Parts: sequence; structure tokens; C-alpha cells
Amino acid sequence: MATRAAFDERTAPKAGYGPIDWMGGWKTCVWGSLAVVVVAAVHWLYISRYAWTAGIDSSSPEFTKYFRSLVWTQLIVAGAGTGLWWGWLVRTGRQVLTKEVTANEEVRRIAVFWGLISMTSFTLYVMASFWPNQDGSWHQTAIRDTALTPTHIPMFYWWFPLGITMTVGTYLYGRYRLPKVYGPDKGFPWSFFFLIAASVTEMMQVAFNEWAHSLWILEEIFAAPFHWPFVTYGWLASGIFALWAETIIRLLGIEKEVADAAASPARAA
Amino acid sequence: MARTAQEAAQFTALLNKKYRYMDYKWDLVFWVTALPVVAAAADITKLLFAGDWDFWTDWKDRQWWMTITPFAMIIIPSALQYIQWLAWKFPTGCTYTAVGLWVVAWLGRWLQWDVFVNYPLNFVWPATIVPAAIFTDWILLKTRSFVLTSLFGGLAFTFGFWVANYITLAPFLQPVDLMGSTATLADVQGVAYLRSATPEYLRMIEHGTLRSFLEETTLVALFFGATLCTFGYWVGQAIARWLAIWPIMRFMKKF
Repeated sequence: MATRAAFDERTAPKAGYGPIDWMGGWKTCVWGSLAVVVVAAVHWLYISRYAWTAGIDSSSPEFTKYFRSLVWTQLIVAGAGTGLWWGWLVRTGRQVLTKEVTANEEVRRIAVFWGLISMTSFTLYVMASFWPNQDGSWHQTAIRDTALTPTHIPMFYWWFPLGITMTVGTYLYGRYRLPKVYGPDKGFPWSFFFLIAASVTEMMQVAFNEWAHSLWILEEIFAAPFHWPFVTYGWLASGIFALWAETIIRLLGIEKEVADAAASPARAA
Repeated sequence: MARTAQEAAQFTALLNKKYRYMDYKWDLVFWVTALPVVAAAADITKLLFAGDWDFWTDWKDRQWWMTITPFAMIIIPSALQYIQWLAWKFPTGCTYTAVGLWVVAWLGRWLQWDVFVNYPLNFVWPATIVPAAIFTDWILLKTRSFVLTSLFGGLAFTFGFWVANYITLAPFLQPVDLMGSTATLADVQGVAYLRSATPEYLRMIEHGTLRSFLEETTLVALFFGATLCTFGYWVGQAIARWLAIWPIMRFMKKF
């Protein structure tokens, strides 16, 4: 550890691009979170523009043009994007896993990890608050004809899968880039188990929800008992707090290692 | 508060400690980026347990609204209160969650209910828990006890919820004549703005026999709501203790 701290001094990054600079380690947090908000805004504008003119009847040609095409686009982009990102994280992760890293680099990775958590946080908000509000308002006025109503399309076939993409991807990042916290030798973290379970149960609950709507009631009563299992998403997402705690503990550990190395220059040499 | 000179020296050393990597950005990023997921958890819990009572003015009734809604709305604030008190001894968790919930609830009502579907905002405004949350945090600050906060905080949260939102609701409870019958302005809104499940949807409002309590209806519902709220507080505590704090640095060896 001491030699690593000494190595840091020789590889100092450019000013403004250090591990804890906004355009350095925090870049993922800033631009990634903004990207999630922008995608949600574009989605909302699209649905607002076409839902009432082309989304009422799922058997109409307009629906096929504006909404079935959207479903397929979302599924293909989400599926391919997820596969590529996860694959890249695993492939490159296996290469960097065993390499010794500098304190600067490990801190930068923790900042990137927090950026991914931030993107996950915004994604979970969009999938569990922003779109359910639209879904409620739609069903209170237009009811539903199939599971492919305009308000379901962004929520069920983009944002819910994106929740899984982000939570699993964040874990893969931690597993390979932060091995002292989440390395394979430690086992599977309960924090990620709860967080991933949140997004997975949300996706699975959708199936039950649509099945139940087809069986019991067609109209929307938001507080209906068969909607209650959706809250498990929000509660299980509490695991996200453990991620912040686990990585801040490691950050304090790095601080101590660097301080120890500075106090014992002979050991660092 | 330091109890001995040695403790005071330790606190001073901790306060003046120089870090290489720890700066204000970690705090800033945490407090800002935790808010979306916290607010989402609070919103989805409210929507699914008490959503209909929060959506419309005519559902904000004397029977179920203040009975169910405080229970649904204290769960996540209580969880955050535990986390922030444990981590920093900050009595701010309820207020933090309430402010986040206020932001996302209004975003939802404005963009999804008003702009998207054209329900007027004065029909679909969300209830606020900000004053109730401040009361509850203040009780934790004073008592430094989760048990006492659950008892007195549950009561304060429910009554604070009612008082804070009654100010907004009162104008919609003014009597009007509707086709020869006396109704409230909120009732007129409920009839004028059609909802897909009407008329069955309307029959759920005050459908019990609590009206036999006459003017005490609200008080009875509030006290029962406070009882449920105390239970909801402990649901939130369980979420924080077992799903947020317990997993820290715990791993399953076989998966």
C-alpha cells in the first residue's frame, strides 16, 4: 500500500481532472445523471405528443406506427446496450481485477461507482414515481385495452429493464474495479442482493399486475391490494444506502493508507 | 457533546483532520443523488397504499384519508430518520424525505395529471407532509428515543398532516347546491371531471358508518390514524435496520 501511495505522486492527473474533480472522477455522476433525466424528458415528450392521437386503440395502424415500433426499438436498444455494457464490464474487468492500482485510481473508481449509483437512483425514481403517475392518470381516463398502452410502453419495456441494467451493471463495476470492497473472493454482497432484487421484483410484479387486471378489475383503483406488492421495490431499494456506506469505509481506509505511507517514507521507498 | 477533556481533544482533532480525498463533494453528491430514490420509495409507498385518497380533492374525506395516508406516508421518512440519526446524529430524515416527496409529487401531478391528461391542479394537488415531518424530527431531537418518537411522533405526524393540509382543503369543502342537493365543491369537481371507474369509484368515499359520530368523525379518524401511523413508523424502522444498515459489509458466501 505504501509503495502505491508513492507511485501516486508520479502519476498526478491534469488539474481539474483528478479523481475527485467534477470533470475527473465525478464525470460519470454529472453527465450520467443528466443523461437519465434527458432520456426521461424525451420519452415524456414523445408519449405526450402521440398518446391521445395514436395510442387509444392498439389494433389501429397509427398505434403500430408510433407505439409498436417504439416497443421494439426500446427492447432492441435496451437489450443490446445491456449486453454490450455488461460484457464490456466483465471482459475488461477480468483484465484489471488482479492489477495493483494507485490510491488515486481507486478513489477515482469509487467516485465513478457513486456516479453509477446516482444514475441508478435517478432511474429508480423515473421508473417508480414519474411513470406510475402517468400510468395512473391514463387509466383514470382511458382505461386500458392491452398491456401495450402508451403509458406502459416506456415504463414496462424501457425503464423497468433499465433498472435491472443499472443495478447489475453497477455490481459488475464494483466486482471487478473495486475488488477490496466487492471482489469475487468476498462472496455476493447483501447490499446488491437487495438492490438488484428491487428492480427484478418490479419487473416480475408487472406480469402479475397485468394478469390480475385481466382477471379481476379493468378499471384502475390505485390503492388496490393487488398493487401492494409493488411497494417491495421501494423498500428493497434501501440496499442502496449500504453501497454508499461500504465504499465510504473503503475511502477512509485509503486515506489511512496514504497517511501511513506519508508518515513512514522509508516504507514507501 | 464531549464529556471529558480527552473526548473534547479527540473531537477537535477529528474536526481539524486533513484529508487527501475527502472533501465537500462526497457529501454533496450523497445528499443530492440519494434524494431521487428516497423520494421514489416514499412516493410509490404512498401511491400504492393511499394513492386514490391523495389524487383527488373529493377523496380527501373524513374517514379514510387521514386514517390511511399518514400511515403510508410516514414509512419511508421513518426509515431515513433512523439512517440519518445513526450516521450523523442529524434529526433530519423525515424532513429530507418529505421535501423530496414534495418535489416528485408535484412533478408528477403537474406533468402527468395536469399537462398530460388535463385534470386541473386544484383537483389533483398532492397532500404535503413537510410540516408533519418537521414535527416528527423535532420530537426525535428532543427525546433522542425512537420509541418515544414513534408514540408522540406518530400522533404529531397525523395531526400535523391534517392541520397542514386542511388549510388547502378547506375551500373545497364549502357547500354548494348540486342539482337540488347540498354537496361540497370537491364533490362537484368529482362529478364534473370524469374518471374511468365512476360511479363505483365515488362510492368508496366515506362509505362506512362513521357519519354516526357526527362532528367527532374527524377526531376519531385522526386518533385511529395516529395509531396506524405509529405502526407505520416501525415498518420504516424495520426497513432501515434490516434492508439498509444490516447489509453493510455482509456477504453471502454461496450464491
